[in-house]
Amino acid sequence: MALEVNDNNFEEVVLNSDKPVIVDFWAEWCGPCRIIAPAMEEISGEFKDKAVVAKCDVDSSPSVTARFGIRNIPTVLYFKDGKVVDKQIGAVPKVNFINKLNALIQQS
Amino acid sequence: MTVCVFASSSGKIDQRYMRAAADLGQLLAANMINVIYGGGGIGLMGALADSIIENGGSITGVIPSFMNDEGWGHPHVREMIVTRDMGERKKEMFTKADAVVALPGGVGTLEELTEAITLKQLGLFRGPVVILNTLDFYGSLINFLDQMVAKNFLRTEHKGIWEIAPTPPDVITAILNNRKWIDNPRKIAKI
Repeated sequence: MALEVNDNNFEEVVLNSDKPVIVDFWAEWCGPCRIIAPAMEEISGEFKDKAVVAKCDVDSSPSVTARFGIRNIPTVLYFKDGKVVDKQIGAVPKVNFINKLNALIQQS
Repeated sequence: MTVCVFASSSGKIDQRYMRAAADLGQLLAANMINVIYGGGGIGLMGALADSIIENGGSITGVIPSFMNDEGWGHPHVREMIVTRDMGERKKEMFTKADAVVALPGGVGTLEELTEAITLKQLGLFRGPVVILNTLDFYGSLINFLDQMVAKNFLRTEHKGIWEIAPTPPDVITAILNNRKWIDNPRKIAKI
């Protein structure tokens, strides 16, 4: 399961993680967000030892959303050592998320 | 959001270019981004339009009357605007676009892409200008643009006008991200 993150636990789960983290910024009313949601769940299972997969509902996390300048959703941010190192906006096939995540893991 | 796509009408090209155009069409449809394009039925224009239609997306063609009379328009694009000439076609496309994307193409596509860059340099267009660089097709143009900067025919800041997208998902990120262009382009339009 993708971990749910919000304004309260973002720092602890995402920024302080010792593994690479991907965060899917989404909202209930967003059609393209629903397209990628199943892929995110699958990736969280497939990468459970190597990376953290999280999802952040933009409507209930205004502070984090503003801090990272999220203007369109879905936006998937890739974090390493607390910093944003890659980004994918919009719904794209699962393989694209996996490729970016693998690139990040190989740098570790 | 509406994106204007410029692309080749040649079909005698490596199938990987066709695949990338179809992939982009599928992504634009999935992300509910409207497309306005040159109305063509073959080549990369045709591959893009076929894919958008197949995936339930929204696409509008803009075609000059002589091309329409020749039967070059896409037969299944329902919304087709017929213009008097090439200049009016391009103006119609720019006017409606929030972003411009250039796929690989010949001199027509090159002219459209460089006009987009020029309009943005002059502050007459403000949206993203994205180059889909499939198989490094535009590598030599990018080098040429770099040379313009190196020899002071363009300013270094002008490199912020265009964005290079290696793959179709990178195009989606670039157009939705809408990276900030400077507030007053005319201040730096003169070199």
